[in-house]
Amino acid sequence: MHELLLFASVPVHQHHGLLQQLAGLTAMQPRHALERRLIFKAFRKPGLITGRVGGSQDLQQASAGDLQRVNKMLNGGMFYTQVVGPVSNHDFAPTSKSVSTPDADTQMAGVDEPKPPAPAPSEAAHVYDYDQQTWKLEFRDIPEAATRSAVTTRVMASAALPRGDIEPSMNAWGYGFVTEYLVEGDVFIHNDIVIFLHRVLHYPTGEKEPREPRRNLPPLKKMAPLEKTGSYVLQASITVQDGSNQETMKTASQHLLGLREQLKSAVRLEPADRLSLDTRAK
Amino acid sequence: MAESFTLPLRPPPEQNERPDTLPVEIAQINNQWGSFREVNEEILLAKIAEEEKRHGAQQDEDMDEGEQEVGEIDPTERREQLYKRRHEITQFAMLVTSTLKGALERSAANECLNSKSHQETMLALDFISLLLSKHAPRQAETSMSPLLKQLAPLGSLDSDLVNPPPRPESSIKDISTVSRGWRIQNFNSASSKLLSAATRLNGEIESEIRYWGEVLAIKDKGWKVCRHPREKQALAVQYGFMEATPIFRDRGLASLRRANDGSLILDKGLLPTGARHVRVRVKQGDQVFVSSKPSGAGSSDADSIEQRILQARDSVFEEELFHELVREARAMAGCSVTTRQNLIRIPVSDEMEILLDLVDAETHDIALGQNGLQHDSRLTDGLAHAIRILLCFAHRQNLRRRTQIPRPLTTTRPATPEYHLLRPALAYLQHLSHVRWLESFLSDIYSTLRSAGLDIPQWTSNPYANWKPSSTSPPPAALEGLVEKFLRPIESVFSGKLLTSRGSFTVTVRTNLSSLPFGTLYDVSLDLPTVPDLRSPGRLGLKDDVETAITHLLLLDLVSTISSKTLPAVRDGQNANVSKEQTWDAVYPHLGELLLPNTNPEKHKKMKVALSRHEITLTTYIVRSIDGIGRGTCERRSHNAAAHLCKFPQSSVGAPSGQEYPSVMDFVVAEATEGHS
Repeated sequence: MHELLLFASVPVHQHHGLLQQLAGLTAMQPRHALERRLIFKAFRKPGLITGRVGGSQDLQQASAGDLQRVNKMLNGGMFYTQVVGPVSNHDFAPTSKSVSTPDADTQMAGVDEPKPPAPAPSEAAHVYDYDQQTWKLEFRDIPEAATRSAVTTRVMASAALPRGDIEPSMNAWGYGFVTEYLVEGDVFIHNDIVIFLHRVLHYPTGEKEPREPRRNLPPLKKMAPLEKTGSYVLQASITVQDGSNQETMKTASQHLLGLREQLKSAVRLEPADRLSLDTRAK
Repeated sequence: MAESFTLPLRPPPEQNERPDTLPVEIAQINNQWGSFREVNEEILLAKIAEEEKRHGAQQDEDMDEGEQEVGEIDPTERREQLYKRRHEITQFAMLVTSTLKGALERSAANECLNSKSHQETMLALDFISLLLSKHAPRQAETSMSPLLKQLAPLGSLDSDLVNPPPRPESSIKDISTVSRGWRIQNFNSASSKLLSAATRLNGEIESEIRYWGEVLAIKDKGWKVCRHPREKQALAVQYGFMEATPIFRDRGLASLRRANDGSLILDKGLLPTGARHVRVRVKQGDQVFVSSKPSGAGSSDADSIEQRILQARDSVFEEELFHELVREARAMAGCSVTTRQNLIRIPVSDEMEILLDLVDAETHDIALGQNGLQHDSRLTDGLAHAIRILLCFAHRQNLRRRTQIPRPLTTTRPATPEYHLLRPALAYLQHLSHVRWLESFLSDIYSTLRSAGLDIPQWTSNPYANWKPSSTSPPPAALEGLVEKFLRPIESVFSGKLLTSRGSFTVTVRTNLSSLPFGTLYDVSLDLPTVPDLRSPGRLGLKDDVETAITHLLLLDLVSTISSKTLPAVRDGQNANVSKEQTWDAVYPHLGELLLPNTNPEKHKKMKVALSRHEITLTTYIVRSIDGIGRGTCERRSHNAAAHLCKFPQSSVGAPSGQEYPSVMDFVVAEATEGHS
């Protein structure tokens, strides 16, 4: 699968207004999303067959090409990959008294949407259960180079993972845990385009960086945004099943560019710097 | 020429090529004096009076004095100056001419003088030529010396009239009169133009106020007012449904135009304006029932803009409803649903047919008056409401689907499935008829059993069991949960206890038209411990099968009840002191045959029980086989003993056997005792 993307930076003072505008554009309420993101890095397992280097003169040209391809697949790319686990507000350790509630102001007027039921008193004692946490593996390649179109294009793949402690499985597949962070934002759907207005939150500093995914979450209020000003990133993405089909790719990028045109007066959507989205492990 | 006067060397101030455009001037005036709206006659008069008061007096005096002075100077001094100058000029001209003449005369004599005069003449010629070259360059160029041409460009010298001579008194007066007349005329036309503009603006303001007032009223009522996406200048109101099929979604937008008097016009483009709605008719035998008109249509203030928007919204909803109904009806052609251009015909059963069509509101009224159509029918109204509720539900489902993370883009477009509008309604009707049939069957057969004096516990029914909110499950969080139930298979449960203890039966009727397996199925489960080899028939599709199964069960039940009945002890003829308790043996319970054994092998008595929906028949006769077992031709019925017959319910005419028994059990006991007597 391929993913086409456009990004924009949204200063924090514009955030609320943009939420309203996006709600109007997509005719839906923002869906609040909180995601744990664990970063894993591929490592080369010792004892892996590296294949023969050179010495392929006696082989036919075609099979030599095949061998090279297999070698490349086995040893060529080493990537960072991330494991995404959706969490909810209740999963975070409660702060002293007030439980953080979603901003009621973002309920847009004019759309009659039933509000989610208020958390029952029993849920106040809700405890985050790490063993029941669902996970999704998200692989993203480095964006394609030298594409003339004005969108970022990259190969992507996602897969569901078993619940609970994911680290042993990932280790077995040759990935080592690096770090984790939290993404907070709102999702909108506009036809085929997923609009994700989000920002990255860091776990509170001070405590020692653990060597494995956290089993407990700190209070949400204590999480600090990566960007000190608290600004958001607007990401508009569209996935394409078959990246080799030029026609669908063209349609997809046209959809994105159409969205850029629609949002022109609010934000400027741009393709991202290719190297800043490099996921290769060196 | 003696007087020195300064020549202006600067170019004369250029007149602005075009005067300021009207908007600029209006803006200037607005800035300086404020809006035109506040200008009226009193203010202008007050302003003029104020101006006059402030400057008027002294300025007028000053001007008068100045004019007087100028007037005094003019006639005397100016004329003197003029004459003096004219005199000087004539003198100079005479001098020049005389010199020229003299020079010419002397030219022949004096060559030196001649050359000098020639030079001067040429200089004069050059001077004149240069002066003229400003206005007639081509002509003047011919008379210019080459040296001059080199030194000075053409037209670099100009002349102008300085201190023009005063005009005569009469012409000045004429000019002033004419100009005053012009000015008055212009003022008149300007004022009339301003007045007409003012009235026009007033009208415009009023109509604009009215227009915006109405727009705001619409907005306050909660309608979405936006800029028209195709016409940038127009406002539009959105009344359609966001989740409808795209064609109908886009139709839910009408521009709000302003009539000349400022009233609001709802401009829907080329769409028809009349109200239309889906009419449901049910033909039952000869009778035709019609659904009532949707409420809201044809209310008192039909002309208010709010009402027109509502009507437009209803129309677009009804049209979408009909569109979706036709789409679904086409998919249901397998259920012998037929569609025509504007009619859907659904045969429900032999004598019942549903007709759906899209009609104008007026047609509805006209049609109502004729053909003996009947208005109030719970079925038609219920059907009409159901399809509308289900369309709203489909809209909500669309919203839910739309806000999910979309699937990756592929070349093939996912087909939009038909909504479930007719199918749930039809499923309900079908289910209803099956449930009614089962109810009537059970009540028939139970009343037959009761008439035979059997004390069978009443059967219970639980129609639409899965629609009822169960107490354990939480109430549906949203409206969708409520409607979603109706799309699931409909289920009704019938259960009953039997005469035999621990015996029971359960019939579950399940109708499903939304997904496989289609149609109505009966799930029959039987439990009769006295007949261990009885198997539940499981799923049955036909009513007859169900009837047979239940009748058979009740027959078995009856047989086992009879066989368990302890007969009163009979005294044996030969052996008086031996009394033995006897029972009917259920030899062939599935055939309803029982046997009363007798010591005399020729005198076994057999009873045959037959049960149908309306009748129980018991027959007893003597068989002559040794043990009494054997059926049909093998059973060796004794011919000399007449069969005893007992039928329930007893007909009023009287049983042919002539003997009346109040209940089955009485007959059973009587027959048993008779067999031994």
